[in-house]
Amino acid sequence: MSELPIERVDDELWQIPPSARPGMRVPARVFADADLLAAIEQDRSLEQLANVATLPGIVEAAMAMPDIHQGYGFPVGGVAATDTPGGVVSPGGVGYDINCGVRLLALPLDAEELGKRREPLVHEISRRVPAGSGGKSAQRGVSGAKLDRVLEEGPRALYEDLRIGTAEDLHMTESGGRLEGAEPALVSPRACERGKHQIGTLGSGNHFLELQRVDRIYEESAAAAFRLHEGQVTLLIHSGSRGLGHQVCTDFVKRMDAVLGRYGIELPDRQLSCAPVDSPEGRDYLGAMAAAANFAWANRAAIAHRAREAIAQVLGQGAARETVQVYDVAHNVAKLEQHGGREVCVHRKGATRAFPPDHPDIPPEYRVAGQPVFIPGSMGTASFVLAGRPGSMERSFGTTCHGAGRRLSRTAVRKQVEGGELRRRLEDQGIAVRAPSARGLAEEAPEAYKDVERVVAIVERAGLAARVARLRPIGVVKG
Amino acid sequence: MYRWVDHTAEVELEIRAATERDVFADALAALAELLAVEGDATEERRIAVRAPDRPALLAAWLEELVFLAESEGFEPVRLESIAVEGNRLEAVVRGRHGDPPPLVKAVTYHRLTFEPCDSAYCARVVLDV
Repeated sequence: MSELPIERVDDELWQIPPSARPGMRVPARVFADADLLAAIEQDRSLEQLANVATLPGIVEAAMAMPDIHQGYGFPVGGVAATDTPGGVVSPGGVGYDINCGVRLLALPLDAEELGKRREPLVHEISRRVPAGSGGKSAQRGVSGAKLDRVLEEGPRALYEDLRIGTAEDLHMTESGGRLEGAEPALVSPRACERGKHQIGTLGSGNHFLELQRVDRIYEESAAAAFRLHEGQVTLLIHSGSRGLGHQVCTDFVKRMDAVLGRYGIELPDRQLSCAPVDSPEGRDYLGAMAAAANFAWANRAAIAHRAREAIAQVLGQGAARETVQVYDVAHNVAKLEQHGGREVCVHRKGATRAFPPDHPDIPPEYRVAGQPVFIPGSMGTASFVLAGRPGSMERSFGTTCHGAGRRLSRTAVRKQVEGGELRRRLEDQGIAVRAPSARGLAEEAPEAYKDVERVVAIVERAGLAARVARLRPIGVVKG
Repeated sequence: MYRWVDHTAEVELEIRAATERDVFADALAALAELLAVEGDATEERRIAVRAPDRPALLAAWLEELVFLAESEGFEPVRLESIAVEGNRLEAVVRGRHGDPPPLVKAVTYHRLTFEPCDSAYCARVVLDV
């Protein structure tokens, strides 16, 4: 329960002043309404956000999106921009699952046409995409991938070497699926060992594949640009950099923790361990993180490839060929970007880049609509397609939310929900479910999450992003 | 003795034990519970880790066990022996080969502690799941 003083700035923004706690260099700001704020105050997320405000070189404010919840170090839903040079980069500000993100595929048919083939399609996708974080069953990554090439080039390496994905998929991926400055040599042997068989595997926890039906269009022109229409079938892929990314973060949290004294950095939480962006440790982290981010994009590309194989099997080669990638966005990453006329290192930890119309870093096809953003709700509710708006550049370093945000702990939700009963309830709602365990299914029950409609409404009112389409689940493959 | 503390998104482990050795043993037992390890110990692993202080040594210990579970399918059952000297830990762990369930991604430094408390030792570690 937070006891930090917080004041209302406007209808959608709240602020903890820097005077609230020793060491805060800037305010801590949260986008929320009064009800969501009351829920946010129930865990340690605001305390964590205030800790982020102590980072050396942090610019303007430590920020949080309305889906903020307690994480480790940074809260999930946190955004921090630091000066370059002069500021720090913090591996904990990106998280263990580097470039965890979402990719949306649009299928060339409507849910009505899919009809009774829905269940076989969900089954075939679950059969082809391995799930789980470790163990033999979850390690069946695509064969023939060259890890060094993937770390340096991302999904382009899979496309050029193995014809996985399409050139258009690369084009419709944030940063083209490749962060500049990736240094495969800085990814430790242990990280490579963990990741080498995991390209094309879903992972565990809240990772999923969701087959959906577009059930509402809010903005026709943007939806048309994104090649979406009402009734259409879509597939949302949520995964990240698997064991490789987890190990990169582990390695650099430790390495930076060991040199804090050298840079005169004092922190309220060791998980915020950091180093100046332009220090050897900072540069090395950014090189290794970029490699892990490229790995994550390749992972989602390989998952999409396996999903297209499933589509080909169940719906035919033509349907697979005409399945297009709307976009792929990262929600755990640190990037050097221009904001307010200067370069800053933007940490997004459970937060999504949401560049507005006309921004040069989004595909020309989306320059009028704005960058697509995907907001998964929960497996029993809805997900949203948004488009970035100018307010994101003015208020949140080009960022919006990334999901509904957890409300209940895994233990708490397991006390309320039993996996088998949840599966029946979802199937009664017309949602086919595949999950490796009833326990894991229960932990991700809709009850565990905040109301995604409310979260999305706040970022829209705040001018960060606008609703384009709502997607209802018709099939879920859980990690 | 260990217990799980409510955490919105992750898993928080609290340990209170009579000796430092028991803190490490309890951490192993907690991880075995999380991984739902069942059955007899049929294999053995030697583990050696270093860290700058006790809290980091506890994190390094758990990291090693998580790595062995993920990369080799080694499920820890019990601690056979352990020696903690200075910043170094050496242990022999008995366990079994399996397909451990997908749970722990990483061992974090968030609110990490390991210190004497009321003639015992208290520790806390948050696991990213």
